[in-house]
Amino acid sequence: MNSTEVAERLKSMPDGSSIALKIGETNFADNYVAALNGVLKEFMPERRYTCIYVTTTTPSHLCKNLFEMFEMDVSNIYFVDAISHIMMNVSTQMERTTYIESPTMLENILLKIEFLLKKLANENKLLILDSINTLAIHNGNRILAEFLHILVNNLKSKGVFTIILGVEERNSDEISNMLSLVCDDTIVVK
Amino acid sequence: MTDVLAEKRGIQRERCKTGIEGLDNILNGGIPRGNTILVTGSCGTGKTTLSLEFLVHGALSGEKCLFISVTEPSSKLLANLIPYEFFDDRLIEQGLLVFIDMPALYERLGLRKTEFTFEEIHMLVNAISGIVRELQIKRLVIDSITSVCFQLKTEEKIREFILKLGKALSDFGCTSLLVSEISPAEQRYSMYGVEEAIADGIIILGNLERKGDLLRTMQVVKMRGTSHSRAKYVLDLTPIGILLVPLLKGGMGAEK
Repeated sequence: MNSTEVAERLKSMPDGSSIALKIGETNFADNYVAALNGVLKEFMPERRYTCIYVTTTTPSHLCKNLFEMFEMDVSNIYFVDAISHIMMNVSTQMERTTYIESPTMLENILLKIEFLLKKLANENKLLILDSINTLAIHNGNRILAEFLHILVNNLKSKGVFTIILGVEERNSDEISNMLSLVCDDTIVVK
Repeated sequence: MTDVLAEKRGIQRERCKTGIEGLDNILNGGIPRGNTILVTGSCGTGKTTLSLEFLVHGALSGEKCLFISVTEPSSKLLANLIPYEFFDDRLIEQGLLVFIDMPALYERLGLRKTEFTFEEIHMLVNAISGIVRELQIKRLVIDSITSVCFQLKTEEKIREFILKLGKALSDFGCTSLLVSEISPAEQRYSMYGVEEAIADGIIILGNLERKGDLLRTMQVVKMRGTSHSRAKYVLDLTPIGILLVPLLKGGMGAEK
Protein backbone atom coordinates (compact mmCIF):
# COMPACT_ATOMS: atom_id res chain seq x y z
CA MET A 1 0.00 0.00 0.00
CA ASN A 2 1.44 3.39 -0.96
CA SER A 3 1.02 6.76 0.74
CA THR A 4 -1.87 7.85 -1.49
CA GLU A 5 -3.77 4.66 -0.75
CA VAL A 6 -3.22 5.20 2.98
CA ALA A 7 -4.49 8.78 2.65
CA GLU A 8 -7.54 7.71 0.63
CA ARG A 9 -8.53 5.14 3.25
CA LEU A 10 -8.20 7.75 5.98
CA LYS A 11 -10.19 10.31 3.99
CA SER A 12 -13.10 7.90 3.88
CA MET A 13 -13.34 8.05 7.69
CA PRO A 14 -15.14 10.86 9.57
CA ASP A 15 -13.67 13.07 12.31
CA GLY A 16 -13.47 11.25 15.63
CA SER A 17 -12.53 7.94 14.01
CA SER A 18 -9.87 5.72 15.52
CA ILE A 19 -7.59 3.73 13.23
CA ALA A 20 -5.00 1.04 13.90
CA LEU A 21 -2.27 1.67 11.32
CA LYS A 22 -0.20 -1.50 11.18
CA ILE A 23 3.15 -1.33 9.44
CA GLY A 24 4.65 -4.47 7.93
CA GLU A 25 8.06 -5.49 9.25
CA THR A 26 9.50 -6.45 5.84
CA ASN A 27 10.81 -3.26 4.21
CA PHE A 28 9.82 -1.51 7.43
CA ALA A 29 11.51 1.82 6.60
CA ASP A 30 9.68 2.13 3.27
CA ASN A 31 6.37 1.13 4.83
CA TYR A 32 6.85 3.57 7.73
CA VAL A 33 7.63 6.48 5.39
CA ALA A 34 4.66 5.57 3.15
CA ALA A 35 2.37 5.53 6.19
CA LEU A 36 3.68 8.86 7.52
CA ASN A 37 3.57 10.49 4.08
CA GLY A 38 -0.01 9.34 3.67
CA VAL A 39 -0.99 10.70 7.06
CA LEU A 40 1.08 13.86 7.44
CA LYS A 41 1.53 15.04 3.82
CA GLU A 42 -1.71 13.99 2.18
CA PHE A 43 -4.45 13.37 4.76
CA MET A 44 -3.65 15.96 7.45
CA PRO A 45 -3.46 19.09 5.23
CA GLU A 46 -6.70 18.24 3.48
CA ARG A 47 -8.58 18.06 6.79
CA ARG A 48 -6.64 21.09 8.11
CA TYR A 49 -5.74 19.14 11.22
CA THR A 50 -3.33 20.18 13.91
CA CYS A 51 -1.42 17.08 14.97
CA ILE A 52 -0.57 15.85 18.46
CA TYR A 53 2.20 13.32 17.91
CA VAL A 54 2.79 11.07 20.93
CA THR A 55 6.14 9.36 20.57
CA THR A 56 7.21 6.54 22.84
CA THR A 57 9.67 5.10 20.33
CA THR A 58 11.93 7.76 18.81
CA PRO A 59 12.90 11.03 20.55
CA SER A 60 10.86 13.92 19.22
CA HIS A 61 13.84 15.80 17.77
CA LEU A 62 14.68 12.77 15.63
CA CYS A 63 11.03 12.44 14.55
CA LYS A 64 11.07 16.11 13.58
CA ASN A 65 14.31 15.70 11.62
CA LEU A 66 12.86 12.69 9.79
CA PHE A 67 9.63 14.51 8.94
CA GLU A 68 11.56 17.51 7.64
CA MET A 69 13.81 15.26 5.60
CA PHE A 70 10.70 13.97 3.82
CA GLU A 71 9.41 17.55 3.44
CA MET A 72 6.50 17.15 5.82
CA ASP A 73 5.18 20.36 7.37
CA VAL A 74 6.05 20.19 11.08
CA SER A 75 4.69 23.64 11.96
CA ASN A 76 1.33 22.11 12.87
CA ILE A 77 2.71 19.22 14.91
CA TYR A 78 2.87 19.24 18.72
CA PHE A 79 4.94 16.45 20.23
CA VAL A 80 4.31 14.57 23.46
CA ASP A 81 7.68 12.89 23.99
CA ALA A 82 7.70 10.00 26.48
CA ILE A 83 11.05 8.55 25.48
CA SER A 84 13.74 11.26 25.53
CA HIS A 85 13.84 11.44 29.34
CA ILE A 86 14.67 7.78 29.86
CA MET A 87 17.32 8.09 27.14
CA MET A 88 18.76 11.04 29.14
CA ASN A 89 18.23 13.13 26.04
CA VAL A 90 16.34 16.27 27.03
CA SER A 91 19.16 18.75 27.57
CA THR A 92 17.96 20.73 24.57
CA GLN A 93 14.21 20.99 24.62
CA MET A 94 12.30 21.62 21.41
CA GLU A 95 9.48 24.09 21.00
CA ARG A 96 5.95 22.68 20.74
CA THR A 97 7.15 19.63 22.68
CA THR A 98 6.04 18.34 26.07
CA TYR A 99 8.27 15.80 27.76
CA ILE A 100 7.18 12.94 30.01
CA GLU A 101 9.63 11.16 32.28
CA SER A 102 8.86 7.65 31.14
CA PRO A 103 6.50 5.68 28.88
CA THR A 104 5.32 3.94 32.06
CA MET A 105 3.67 7.17 33.19
CA LEU A 106 0.52 6.53 31.20
CA GLU A 107 -1.62 8.90 33.27
CA ASN A 108 0.86 11.70 32.52
CA ILE A 109 0.56 10.94 28.80
CA LEU A 110 -3.23 11.34 29.21
CA LEU A 111 -2.70 14.59 31.12
CA LYS A 112 -0.35 16.11 28.52
CA ILE A 113 -2.75 15.15 25.74
CA GLU A 114 -5.59 16.74 27.73
CA PHE A 115 -3.49 19.88 28.15
CA LEU A 116 -2.88 20.12 24.39
CA LEU A 117 -6.53 19.41 23.59
CA LYS A 118 -7.50 22.38 25.76
CA LYS A 119 -4.74 24.61 24.35
CA LEU A 120 -5.78 23.73 20.80
CA ALA A 121 -9.49 23.94 21.56
CA ASN A 122 -10.32 25.84 18.37
CA GLU A 123 -8.36 23.54 16.03
CA ASN A 124 -9.42 20.35 14.26
CA LYS A 125 -7.16 17.74 15.73
CA LEU A 126 -5.41 14.53 14.77
CA LEU A 127 -3.61 12.40 17.35
CA ILE A 128 -0.95 9.89 16.38
CA LEU A 129 0.30 7.38 18.95
CA ASP A 130 3.70 5.98 17.89
CA SER A 131 3.69 3.19 18.89
CA ILE A 132 1.60 0.56 20.65
CA ASN A 133 4.51 -1.89 20.55
CA THR A 134 6.89 0.28 22.56
CA LEU A 135 4.17 1.06 25.08
CA ALA A 136 3.72 -2.71 25.43
CA ILE A 137 7.44 -3.10 26.19
CA HIS A 138 7.17 -0.72 29.14
CA ASN A 139 3.67 -1.55 30.43
CA GLY A 140 1.64 -4.63 31.32
CA ASN A 141 -1.31 -5.60 29.16
CA ARG A 142 -4.00 -4.75 31.70
CA ILE A 143 -2.88 -1.20 32.36
CA LEU A 144 -2.20 -0.66 28.66
CA ALA A 145 -5.71 -1.83 27.74
CA GLU A 146 -7.17 0.52 30.37
CA PHE A 147 -5.07 3.40 29.01
CA LEU A 148 -6.12 2.77 25.41
CA HIS A 149 -9.77 2.47 26.36
CA ILE A 150 -9.76 5.80 28.24
CA LEU A 151 -7.60 7.58 25.65
CA VAL A 152 -9.47 6.54 22.52
CA ASN A 153 -12.95 7.03 23.96
CA ASN A 154 -12.01 10.44 25.33
CA LEU A 155 -10.62 11.49 21.95
CA LYS A 156 -13.63 10.09 20.13
CA SER A 157 -16.00 12.05 22.38
CA LYS A 158 -14.08 15.20 21.45
CA GLY A 159 -14.07 14.47 17.72
CA VAL A 160 -10.30 13.94 17.53
CA PHE A 161 -9.13 11.66 14.70
CA THR A 162 -6.86 9.03 16.28
CA ILE A 163 -4.22 6.87 14.61
CA ILE A 164 -2.39 4.17 16.58
CA LEU A 165 0.80 2.99 14.91
CA GLY A 166 2.19 -0.49 15.39
CA VAL A 167 4.37 -3.11 13.75
CA GLU A 168 1.99 -5.75 12.48
CA GLU A 169 4.16 -8.80 13.10
CA ARG A 170 5.12 -7.60 16.60
CA ASN A 171 1.57 -7.26 17.89
CA SER A 172 0.73 -9.97 20.41
CA ASP A 173 -2.77 -11.44 20.51
CA GLU A 174 -3.53 -9.23 23.51
CA ILE A 175 -2.50 -6.07 21.65
CA SER A 176 -4.46 -7.09 18.57
CA ASN A 177 -7.52 -7.65 20.76
CA MET A 178 -7.07 -4.24 22.40
CA LEU A 179 -6.79 -2.51 19.04
CA SER A 180 -9.80 -4.27 17.58
CA LEU A 181 -11.79 -3.29 20.67
CA VAL A 182 -10.99 0.44 20.56
CA CYS A 183 -10.39 1.11 16.86
CA ASP A 184 -13.00 1.58 14.16
CA ASP A 185 -10.80 0.27 11.35
CA THR A 186 -7.40 -1.23 10.61
CA ILE A 187 -5.06 -0.26 7.79
CA VAL A 188 -2.09 -2.48 7.01
CA VAL A 189 0.85 -0.95 5.13
CA LYS A 190 3.14 -3.54 3.57
CA MET B 1 -35.07 24.46 55.58
CA THR B 2 -31.99 22.69 56.89
CA ASP B 3 -29.50 21.17 54.45
CA VAL B 4 -30.39 17.67 55.63
CA LEU B 5 -34.10 18.18 55.02
CA ALA B 6 -33.39 19.81 51.65
CA GLU B 7 -31.30 16.82 50.59
CA LYS B 8 -33.94 14.36 51.78
CA ARG B 9 -36.47 16.17 49.63
CA GLY B 10 -34.12 15.89 46.66
CA ILE B 11 -33.30 19.61 46.57
CA GLN B 12 -29.71 20.17 45.50
CA ARG B 13 -27.65 22.55 47.60
CA GLU B 14 -26.24 25.54 45.77
CA ARG B 15 -22.76 24.77 44.47
CA CYS B 16 -19.57 26.74 44.61
CA LYS B 17 -17.82 25.75 41.38
CA THR B 18 -14.11 25.33 42.01
CA GLY B 19 -13.42 26.11 38.33
CA ILE B 20 -11.19 23.04 38.24
CA GLU B 21 -13.12 21.03 35.67
CA GLY B 22 -12.07 17.59 36.88
CA LEU B 23 -12.78 18.40 40.54
CA ASP B 24 -16.20 19.88 39.74
CA ASN B 25 -17.02 16.66 37.87
CA ILE B 26 -15.90 14.57 40.85
CA LEU B 27 -18.13 16.69 43.12
CA ASN B 28 -21.13 16.59 40.77
CA GLY B 29 -21.01 20.32 40.14
CA GLY B 30 -18.80 21.81 42.83
CA ILE B 31 -18.46 22.21 46.59
CA PRO B 32 -21.80 22.71 48.37
CA ARG B 33 -21.76 26.43 49.16
CA GLY B 34 -20.81 27.28 52.73
CA ASN B 35 -18.88 24.06 53.33
CA THR B 36 -15.54 24.11 55.16
CA ILE B 37 -13.11 21.78 53.42
CA LEU B 38 -9.83 20.38 54.62
CA VAL B 39 -7.29 20.26 51.77
CA THR B 40 -4.64 17.96 53.10
CA GLY B 41 -1.38 16.46 51.93
CA SER B 42 2.37 16.41 52.35
CA CYS B 43 4.69 19.03 50.88
CA GLY B 44 4.82 19.45 47.11
CA THR B 45 1.49 17.80 46.43
CA GLY B 46 -0.26 20.94 45.13
CA LYS B 47 -2.37 22.08 48.13
CA THR B 48 -1.56 25.78 47.82
CA THR B 49 -1.85 25.69 44.02
CA LEU B 50 -5.28 24.06 44.18
CA SER B 51 -6.44 26.55 46.81
CA LEU B 52 -5.22 29.55 44.83
CA GLU B 53 -6.83 28.29 41.65
CA PHE B 54 -10.12 27.91 43.55
CA LEU B 55 -9.87 31.56 44.58
CA VAL B 56 -8.79 32.88 41.17
CA HIS B 57 -11.74 31.17 39.46
CA GLY B 58 -14.06 32.60 42.09
CA ALA B 59 -12.67 36.10 41.58
CA LEU B 60 -12.98 35.72 37.81
CA SER B 61 -16.66 34.90 38.27
CA GLY B 62 -17.10 38.07 40.34
CA GLU B 63 -16.97 36.59 43.86
CA LYS B 64 -14.83 38.27 46.50
CA CYS B 65 -12.07 35.92 47.63
CA LEU B 66 -9.65 35.99 50.55
CA PHE B 67 -6.36 34.16 51.04
CA ILE B 68 -4.96 34.17 54.57
CA SER B 69 -1.32 33.20 54.46
CA VAL B 70 0.01 31.83 57.72
CA THR B 71 3.33 30.29 56.82
CA GLU B 72 4.85 32.64 54.26
CA PRO B 73 4.38 36.27 53.22
CA SER B 74 1.76 36.55 50.49
CA SER B 75 4.20 38.60 48.37
CA LYS B 76 6.53 35.58 48.24
CA LEU B 77 3.58 33.29 47.52
CA LEU B 78 2.48 35.43 44.58
CA ALA B 79 6.02 35.53 43.19
CA ASN B 80 6.08 31.72 43.09
CA LEU B 81 2.56 31.34 41.75
CA ILE B 82 2.27 29.21 38.61
CA PRO B 83 1.94 31.69 35.72
CA TYR B 84 -1.74 30.92 35.13
CA GLU B 85 -2.87 32.01 31.70
CA PHE B 86 -6.24 32.95 33.21
CA PHE B 87 -4.78 35.03 36.05
CA ASP B 88 -5.39 38.76 35.83
CA ASP B 89 -3.57 41.27 38.10
CA ARG B 90 -6.68 43.44 38.04
CA LEU B 91 -8.43 40.88 40.28
CA ILE B 92 -6.19 42.12 43.11
CA GLU B 93 -6.49 45.80 42.13
CA GLN B 94 -10.30 45.50 42.04
CA GLY B 95 -10.39 43.88 45.48
CA LEU B 96 -11.84 40.62 44.20
CA LEU B 97 -8.76 38.74 45.35
CA VAL B 98 -7.47 39.81 48.76
CA PHE B 99 -4.33 38.53 50.50
CA ILE B 100 -3.79 38.90 54.24
CA ASP B 101 -0.78 37.68 56.20
CA MET B 102 -1.85 36.00 59.44
CA PRO B 103 1.15 37.31 61.44
CA ALA B 104 -0.05 40.85 60.66
CA LEU B 105 -3.50 39.92 61.94
CA TYR B 106 -2.00 38.45 65.14
CA GLU B 107 -0.06 41.68 65.57
CA ARG B 108 -3.17 43.80 65.11
CA LEU B 109 -5.03 41.72 67.71
CA GLY B 110 -2.10 41.80 70.11
CA LEU B 111 -1.72 38.01 69.99
CA ARG B 112 1.90 37.44 70.78
CA LYS B 113 1.84 34.31 72.95
CA THR B 114 2.90 30.89 71.77
CA GLU B 115 -0.37 29.41 73.06
CA PHE B 116 -3.73 31.13 72.70
CA THR B 117 -6.39 31.19 75.40
CA PHE B 118 -10.08 30.51 74.60
CA GLU B 119 -10.67 34.25 74.78
CA GLU B 120 -7.93 34.88 72.22
CA ILE B 121 -9.35 32.15 69.97
CA HIS B 122 -12.70 33.95 70.01
CA MET B 123 -10.91 37.20 69.16
CA LEU B 124 -9.25 35.52 66.20
CA VAL B 125 -12.49 33.93 64.95
CA ASN B 126 -14.29 37.27 65.33
CA ALA B 127 -11.52 39.08 63.47
CA ILE B 128 -11.58 36.63 60.52
CA SER B 129 -15.36 36.49 60.34
CA GLY B 130 -15.44 40.29 60.64
CA ILE B 131 -13.19 40.62 57.59
CA VAL B 132 -15.33 38.07 55.71
CA ARG B 133 -18.52 39.99 56.58
CA GLU B 134 -17.08 43.43 55.88
CA LEU B 135 -15.53 42.51 52.53
CA GLN B 136 -18.43 40.17 51.62
CA ILE B 137 -16.03 37.32 51.03
CA LYS B 138 -17.53 34.25 49.33
CA ARG B 139 -14.40 32.11 49.15
CA LEU B 140 -11.73 31.82 51.82
CA VAL B 141 -8.46 29.91 52.06
CA ILE B 142 -6.36 29.61 55.22
CA ASP B 143 -2.91 28.26 54.39
CA SER B 144 -2.22 26.53 56.61
CA ILE B 145 -4.66 25.63 59.37
CA THR B 146 -1.92 23.37 60.77
CA SER B 147 0.19 26.43 61.59
CA VAL B 148 -2.76 28.10 63.32
CA CYS B 149 -3.48 24.91 65.27
CA PHE B 150 0.14 24.84 66.38
CA GLN B 151 -0.64 27.87 68.55
CA LEU B 152 -3.86 26.37 69.91
CA LYS B 153 -2.10 23.25 71.23
CA THR B 154 -5.04 21.30 72.72
CA GLU B 155 -7.76 19.35 70.92
CA GLU B 156 -10.43 21.35 72.74
CA LYS B 157 -9.06 24.65 71.50
CA ILE B 158 -8.62 23.39 67.93
CA ARG B 159 -12.18 22.06 67.98
CA GLU B 160 -13.48 25.37 69.36
CA PHE B 161 -11.60 27.39 66.71
CA ILE B 162 -12.63 25.34 63.68
CA LEU B 163 -16.25 24.86 64.80
CA LYS B 164 -16.74 28.56 65.56
CA LEU B 165 -14.99 29.70 62.40
CA GLY B 166 -16.78 27.13 60.20
CA LYS B 167 -20.18 28.18 61.63
CA ALA B 168 -19.48 31.89 61.09
CA LEU B 169 -18.24 31.36 57.53
CA SER B 170 -21.16 29.10 56.65
CA ASP B 171 -23.61 31.71 57.95
CA PHE B 172 -22.12 34.19 55.49
CA GLY B 173 -22.37 31.64 52.64
CA CYS B 174 -18.57 31.59 52.47
CA THR B 175 -16.99 28.40 51.13
CA SER B 176 -13.64 27.75 52.78
CA LEU B 177 -10.57 25.65 52.17
CA LEU B 178 -8.37 24.97 55.17
CA VAL B 179 -4.96 23.75 54.08
CA SER B 180 -3.61 20.99 56.28
CA GLU B 181 -0.03 19.76 56.26
CA ILE B 182 0.74 16.14 57.02
CA SER B 183 3.87 14.06 56.66
CA PRO B 184 3.95 11.52 53.79
CA ALA B 185 3.72 8.59 56.20
CA GLU B 186 0.71 9.98 58.07
CA GLN B 187 -2.23 7.59 58.47
CA ARG B 188 -4.70 10.39 59.15
CA TYR B 189 -5.80 13.48 57.26
CA SER B 190 -4.64 16.17 59.66
CA MET B 191 -1.82 16.83 62.09
CA TYR B 192 -4.00 16.93 65.20
CA GLY B 193 -6.78 14.55 64.12
CA VAL B 194 -9.47 17.04 65.15
CA GLU B 195 -9.61 19.10 61.94
CA GLU B 196 -10.67 16.14 59.80
CA ALA B 197 -13.57 15.23 62.07
CA ILE B 198 -15.03 18.74 62.05
CA ALA B 199 -14.58 19.67 58.38
CA ASP B 200 -17.50 19.23 55.96
CA GLY B 201 -15.18 17.78 53.37
CA ILE B 202 -11.71 16.34 52.92
CA ILE B 203 -9.66 16.51 49.75
CA ILE B 204 -6.40 14.61 50.06
CA LEU B 205 -3.46 15.27 47.77
CA GLY B 206 -0.56 12.87 47.67
CA ASN B 207 2.39 11.39 45.88
CA LEU B 208 1.99 7.84 44.64
CA GLU B 209 5.12 5.88 43.83
CA ARG B 210 4.61 3.18 41.23
CA LYS B 211 7.59 1.22 39.99
CA GLY B 212 9.88 4.20 40.52
CA ASP B 213 7.52 6.78 38.98
CA LEU B 214 6.08 9.47 41.22
CA LEU B 215 2.51 10.55 40.43
CA ARG B 216 0.62 13.45 42.03
CA THR B 217 -2.77 12.20 43.18
CA MET B 218 -6.04 13.62 44.48
CA GLN B 219 -8.96 11.96 46.23
CA VAL B 220 -12.14 13.36 47.73
CA VAL B 221 -12.74 11.19 50.78
CA LYS B 222 -15.60 13.18 52.30
CA MET B 223 -17.95 15.94 51.14
CA ARG B 224 -21.14 16.71 53.00
CA GLY B 225 -24.06 17.85 50.89
CA THR B 226 -23.26 16.05 47.66
CA SER B 227 -22.63 12.63 46.25
CA HIS B 228 -19.13 12.38 44.84
CA SER B 229 -16.52 10.05 43.43
CA ARG B 230 -14.16 8.61 46.05
CA ALA B 231 -11.73 7.28 43.47
CA LYS B 232 -8.12 8.39 43.22
CA TYR B 233 -7.13 10.68 40.35
CA VAL B 234 -3.76 11.75 38.96
CA LEU B 235 -3.26 15.47 38.60
CA ASP B 236 -1.01 17.84 36.73
CA LEU B 237 -0.34 21.47 37.63
CA THR B 238 -0.37 23.40 34.34
CA PRO B 239 -0.53 27.05 33.24
CA ILE B 240 -4.18 26.45 32.27
CA GLY B 241 -4.93 25.09 35.74
CA ILE B 242 -5.09 21.71 37.44
CA LEU B 243 -5.91 18.81 35.13
CA LEU B 244 -7.12 15.44 36.39
CA VAL B 245 -7.34 11.96 34.90
CA PRO B 246 -8.35 8.69 36.59
CA LEU B 247 -5.59 6.64 38.20
CA LEU B 248 -5.20 3.55 36.02
CA LYS B 249 -6.01 0.61 38.23
CA GLY B 250 -4.30 -1.99 36.09
CA GLY B 251 -1.11 -0.72 37.67
CA MET B 252 -2.17 -1.30 41.27
CA GLY B 253 -0.68 -4.69 41.90
CA ALA B 254 -3.00 -6.40 39.45
CA GLU B 255 -0.01 -7.72 37.58
CA LYS B 256 3.68 -7.85 38.17
